Amino acid sequence: MATANNPLGPNSAEATSWNFKLLAQHDLGGFGGMGEGMSVQIAKDGRRIIWLAHESAPKNFTGVDVSDPRKPKVVVQTDLPQAFMRSNSLELTGDIMAVAYQTQKVGQKPAGFELFDVSVPEKPKSISFTDCSGANSRGVHQLWFCDGEYVHMASGAADFKPTHPLDDQFYRCFDVRNPSKPVEAGRWWMPGTREGDSAKPPARHALDKGYRAHNTNVYPQRPDRMYLAYIDGGMYVMDISDKSKPKPISHWTNSPPYSGFMHTVMPLFDRNLMIVTDESTENAAKDWPKLIWILDAREEKHLVPIATCPMPPVDAFSGRGGRFGAHNIHENVPLPTAWNSDEIVLGTFFNGGLRAYDISNPYQPKEVAAFVPPAPKGTPANSVQLNDVFVDERKIVYTVDRHTGGLYILEMDF
Amino acid sequence: MNAPFSSPAAGQFGRRQRRERGPRIPVTIVTGFLGAGKTTLLRRFLTTQEGHGTAVIVNEFGAVGIDDKLLRSSADETVLLGNGCLCCNTRSDLQNALRRLVAERERGQVPDFHRIVIETSGLADPSPILQTFATDRALGSEFHVEVVATVVDAMNGLAALEQLAEARKQAILADRLIVTKTDLADASMTAALTAKLRELNPHASIEVAIDGVLDPRLLVESNAASQNQHQGFVAEAAHSDGISSFVMGDTAPVAWNVFARAMETLIALRGTDLLRVKGLLNVEGCRGPIVVQFVQHLAHPPVELENWPHNERASRVVFITRHIGEQSVRDLFAAVQGLASEPLR
Repeated sequence: MATANNPLGPNSAEATSWNFKLLAQHDLGGFGGMGEGMSVQIAKDGRRIIWLAHESAPKNFTGVDVSDPRKPKVVVQTDLPQAFMRSNSLELTGDIMAVAYQTQKVGQKPAGFELFDVSVPEKPKSISFTDCSGANSRGVHQLWFCDGEYVHMASGAADFKPTHPLDDQFYRCFDVRNPSKPVEAGRWWMPGTREGDSAKPPARHALDKGYRAHNTNVYPQRPDRMYLAYIDGGMYVMDISDKSKPKPISHWTNSPPYSGFMHTVMPLFDRNLMIVTDESTENAAKDWPKLIWILDAREEKHLVPIATCPMPPVDAFSGRGGRFGAHNIHENVPLPTAWNSDEIVLGTFFNGGLRAYDISNPYQPKEVAAFVPPAPKGTPANSVQLNDVFVDERKIVYTVDRHTGGLYILEMDF
Repeated sequence: MNAPFSSPAAGQFGRRQRRERGPRIPVTIVTGFLGAGKTTLLRRFLTTQEGHGTAVIVNEFGAVGIDDKLLRSSADETVLLGNGCLCCNTRSDLQNALRRLVAERERGQVPDFHRIVIETSGLADPSPILQTFATDRALGSEFHVEVVATVVDAMNGLAALEQLAEARKQAILADRLIVTKTDLADASMTAALTAKLRELNPHASIEVAIDGVLDPRLLVESNAASQNQHQGFVAEAAHSDGISSFVMGDTAPVAWNVFARAMETLIALRGTDLLRVKGLLNVEGCRGPIVVQFVQHLAHPPVELENWPHNERASRVVFITRHIGEQSVRDLFAAVQGLASEPLR
């Protein structure tokens, strides 16, 4: 046996690019720690701008001209007013962008969401700021804004006192048809998580991450439905035909025995399937396995898990530094600038990189591509920590590092 | 398949692929007689951009040696077979070597690779290797044989082809024929060799490599799409060993049922003598071409491509058979077509 000696050192082989072609990487001027907000705009002058939310202060959001995906150019980068804030999430419809603001502690201000007019990408202009701060609120963690009319979000509120401090963010919907004066249209929280509820507070998981909302996806195929991931509370299909009175239709959770933190629910309407993701939040894979799940959704009131997307071996990744496990997927955002597929799922797995799965046979998802770049310069994690992914309608893939790597632009080659 | 979950974007054969191999790892098989120049060719290829990220599997370490960190011996887990050949008796070693390479890549234990080159020993018949990829379900879903390249040296190649059935088989099954050492041979020798190769295998392009210098794309890109189009069945070669080749070409779409039933019959009756059947099929109701491939009695799962190469919508399937005449196959297809077309009474 001729044992392979790696001439580049013991860790260099950890970088993989299989069926993805890296077109460009941009460290965003040294502020390459990115959150989970990615949205593409076609500006009036024809330029294609990808808007990216930063994971933490000091930066708020960055607009990058990706008209030529091989030559990304930063066109604007904004600052947060406070070091304790993070924007983390954003979404854009037309020229209006909604940006989430969350604070480190309850009671801090400003916390809420802001609408910007980005018709001139170099000069984002604030249209309105909606205050969601409060004595028991950290503001908005995530938002969904795809129809130009309503912003669906995971948020706290001044009038909401949770039964447990970790349960502060719940589902809220704001009517932004008049973007200068957003109005709350409705809200829902998991029974038992608000003081005064008749239901008992839910039992805590061993790894207690909170019973609160995360992603709040709504699609035009079913405008009367909202697909709500509720972290330690699993996921809900919600009836929002009356936005003022959201009602749960069904609930599914994998925890226990799994360790909570459900993150995203993406329905594949034409295929009667749902893709549900967990988020890994612990270093060294202490919360392994965090997975992408496939659900049989023929009966929306009776969801059945039928498969998970295969992961690379945990022992090969747990020691690489940082987190290893599922997080964000490309969510088939219902906008003309987003790619839509019900055959391919792309997800980020922190140090497990970006992975694509062919789910033609939903009982046997098959990995068809992987991209694990080397640890970016200056990262505290000692590994890449790919955090989010977005695919535009040209099938160009954008993925971001959570700490320093910034933006990676790729082509699917499969 | 899975009717409740079928995707409107999928075709009759599942997700349409951009290319024949889909996401699978491409494999190049380099075959050719001892001293033909396989290793020299390969060593040069590994220095090119196209050769970057190539894992190499050999079943014997030649004198030339390959300076590549991904070198693997397919026989390393059992016995190094010396001058043995990478065929039936060492296929399990090849399977193990391939599986281990993928597992080690996944674990980050070998440098990233995108392609595998298998260098066979001189006497190897490529058929068993091709069969390995068709029979092993796991391997077939991970790997795709992109190119079979056969290296023939201008000095000794003609004699080998005339004297040895294995040499002829290597030439017949090749996608690409690479003639080496033309700088050392008389022009007449090279011309005779080229004529012989053309007679044995009219489908493969014939390339010349001196000191291993060759356009590296010729080792990694299958050129099935660039062949001339034919109509009907075209007999192209009938030669020694009872092996013949012909092309089934047609612009009219064929019903999948007809093609599948005819091939089932052929396989059932004469599978052993279907050395290789490969090509693109214009199937009724399918937007893209259907890639079909058979090695003896084994069929690769059909795959629909997103687009027709060069927008030329026509079937073109190459048959390489032993003691099966082109007319017999033509008659079989016509009979099945006729039966399938008859109205129900």
